Amino acid sequence: MSLDITKVAPQIAEMTARIKQERKNLLERLRLAYDKLCDEKLDLGLLEHKIKTARTPWVVAGLYEGLSRRFPFPFKPEDYTVVATDGSHISVDRHRTARCYLINVGSVRLQYGQNPLAELESTPLLYSDERDLVIRCGEGHNREQAIEGALLDIKRSNEELRKLSEMLDNPSLGGRILALMDGSLVLFGMENYPEFVVEEMLDRCFIKALDRIYQITESKELALASYISFPRSTDVVNALRVACCPFQMVNCEHNCPSGEAPCEMVAGINDRLLFEQVLNTGERSCLFINPSLIMKRYDRHRVYFFYLKVDEEIARVEVPEWVARQPERVDLVHALVLDQCRRGQGYPVALSEAHEQAVVTGADREEFWALVEGYFTEGRMPMVFSGKSRSKRTRWI
Amino acid sequence: MLENQKTGEVIEASTSGYLAQCYELYQSPALGSLVKTRGDDNLDILGVVSNTATLGIEPGRRPIARGKDVVSEEEIYRESPQLYKLLKSEFDVMVIGYSVDGRIYQNLPPKPARIHGFVYLCTQEEVRVFSQCLDFLSLLLNASVEIPVEELVIATLREMARSYGSERRSFLIEAGKELAVLLSKDYVRLKTILRGLKYDAGE
Repeated sequence: MSLDITKVAPQIAEMTARIKQERKNLLERLRLAYDKLCDEKLDLGLLEHKIKTARTPWVVAGLYEGLSRRFPFPFKPEDYTVVATDGSHISVDRHRTARCYLINVGSVRLQYGQNPLAELESTPLLYSDERDLVIRCGEGHNREQAIEGALLDIKRSNEELRKLSEMLDNPSLGGRILALMDGSLVLFGMENYPEFVVEEMLDRCFIKALDRIYQITESKELALASYISFPRSTDVVNALRVACCPFQMVNCEHNCPSGEAPCEMVAGINDRLLFEQVLNTGERSCLFINPSLIMKRYDRHRVYFFYLKVDEEIARVEVPEWVARQPERVDLVHALVLDQCRRGQGYPVALSEAHEQAVVTGADREEFWALVEGYFTEGRMPMVFSGKSRSKRTRWI
Repeated sequence: MLENQKTGEVIEASTSGYLAQCYELYQSPALGSLVKTRGDDNLDILGVVSNTATLGIEPGRRPIARGKDVVSEEEIYRESPQLYKLLKSEFDVMVIGYSVDGRIYQNLPPKPARIHGFVYLCTQEEVRVFSQCLDFLSLLLNASVEIPVEELVIATLREMARSYGSERRSFLIEAGKELAVLLSKDYVRLKTILRGLKYDAGE
C-alpha cells in the first residue's frame, strides 16, 4: 500500500490551523524586530562590540556597513557577461553492483550588449576510483572517510566552483563579469568532519578554486557571488537578539539558564521576513559578515552577505571579502544580479539555465544504472544485488 | 556545378520520410524544397520538405512571451541570447525517390535514411534532372502529411519551377497536364492546385 492520503488530510488541516495561530504571534515579533532594526538610538559601535564578545547558542551576523541602511539599484548594466554553474549528482547506491557516483555540472556563459552570446554545457563525470570514493589520511592510510551523503554535496560544490574558475580563466572573457554560484559560498557541515577531510575538501579544493578566481580578478573587472533564493537564515535577526539583550556581556547559558530570555521577543522570525519589511524593489541591505565558525579558514575569502529585494522575494547574496571590501564590485554584483533576475522572471537566468543543464531526473538515474548493468553484462562480470534491491525490482504478493 | 548546401541532420527516420533538425535556428529550407540525404548501400534518398517547425529543445519547456517592454523582436533575442540554444528548427521531409549511381527512381527507397545523416539542399541542376519525370506527383498526391496535400504539391512545383529559369512556365504546364491526368476524377483538388500556381505560370 502506498501513501494513504486520506489519513494525511486531517493532519494537514491540523497543521494549517496551528500555522495560522502562530502567524499572529509571528507578526508581533516581526514588528518588534523591525522597530529594533530601525531604532536610530541604537549604538552600533556598542552592538558590534557586544556581537564580537557574545556567547550564544546561535550564530550572529557581524556588522560591516551598519544595520538598517538600504542601497538603491546602482546602475543599469548594458554590456556584461555572466558565468554560472550548478550541479546535480547520482549518489553511491550501496544496493547496486558498482560502487560509483556521478556529478553533472551545468555551466553557462551569457554575454549581453554589443556581441550577445550564449554557451550552455553540461559536464558529467563518473567517479569510481578508490581515491574518488574515500578520503584517506595518516600513516598507512588508516583513517578514512567515504564520500557519500553530505560530503558528496560538498564534493559537488567543489566541482561547481572548479568549473566556474576554469570558465573564468578564459582570455576571450572581457568587460564586466559576474561569476555566479547557486546556494551558499559557505561549505555547511564541514566543521563536523575530521581535520584531514576539511583539509582535502575545503583547503585543497574549495579555497584553491577561490584563490584561482581571486587571481583572475586582478586582470578582469570581475565579481564573484552566490545567490540563495528564499533564504531561511536568521543571522541578522540574531544580531537584533543581541541588541535586545539587557545584559552587558551576552552569555545566554550564564544569564538566561532557564531559557526564557528577553531576546525571545524577536526570536522565531528569519532575516527574509524582516527585510521584506525594510527593502523596496531593487534595493539591497547593508553588508553583513557571515558568522560561521568555518570562516576562519576562508582567510581573504571570508563570506559577506546582503539581502536583495527582487520583484517577488528577498534573496540572500553572498560575496567573498575581496568583493565586499570594494564598493564598485559590490555595486557590480548588486546591479548584475538584479538584471539577471529581471531577465529570468525573478530568478537569475544564468542560474536557471545552469540548473537546466545540470539536472539529473529520476529517468536519467534509471537509465544510468541500466547502462552500468549493461556494460557489466557485456563484460561478463558478476552482478550482485542486495536483497532489498531485488525486493524493489520484483514486487510480489 | 555548385556544391550542395548542408541544411540539417536526420533525427528520426522511416521509409516514407524523416525529420531533420537545422543547424541554425530558423534556417530550415523552404516548404517544397528538394533535399537529399545519403542512405545505406550508397544511395541518395530524395525528398521534399513537407513541414517546418520551431520549438523548444525540451518538451517540458515552452517559450513564453517576452516582448512587452521591448521595441523589436531582434531585441528579445539580443536580451536573451540563450534563446538560440534553447530553441530548435526542424523540418519534415517526405521521401519521393532515390538515386543510385546517377540513376533516379521516383519510388520509395529500399531502406530509410540514417539517423544523423546530413541533409543537403539539391542544386538547381539536380532539381531539373529529378523533375524531368513527374511520376513523383503520384506519391505526393497520396501523401499523409501535416499540411494539406494540395499545398505541398503547389510548394513543390513552385520550388522546382524556380530552377528552370526562362523555361519555368513550360515546366509548370507539363506538371499541370500530369496533374490533370492524375486528378481526372477529382476536379476540386485539381482546381485548387492549378489556382495556387497560376501566378507562377505567368497567367
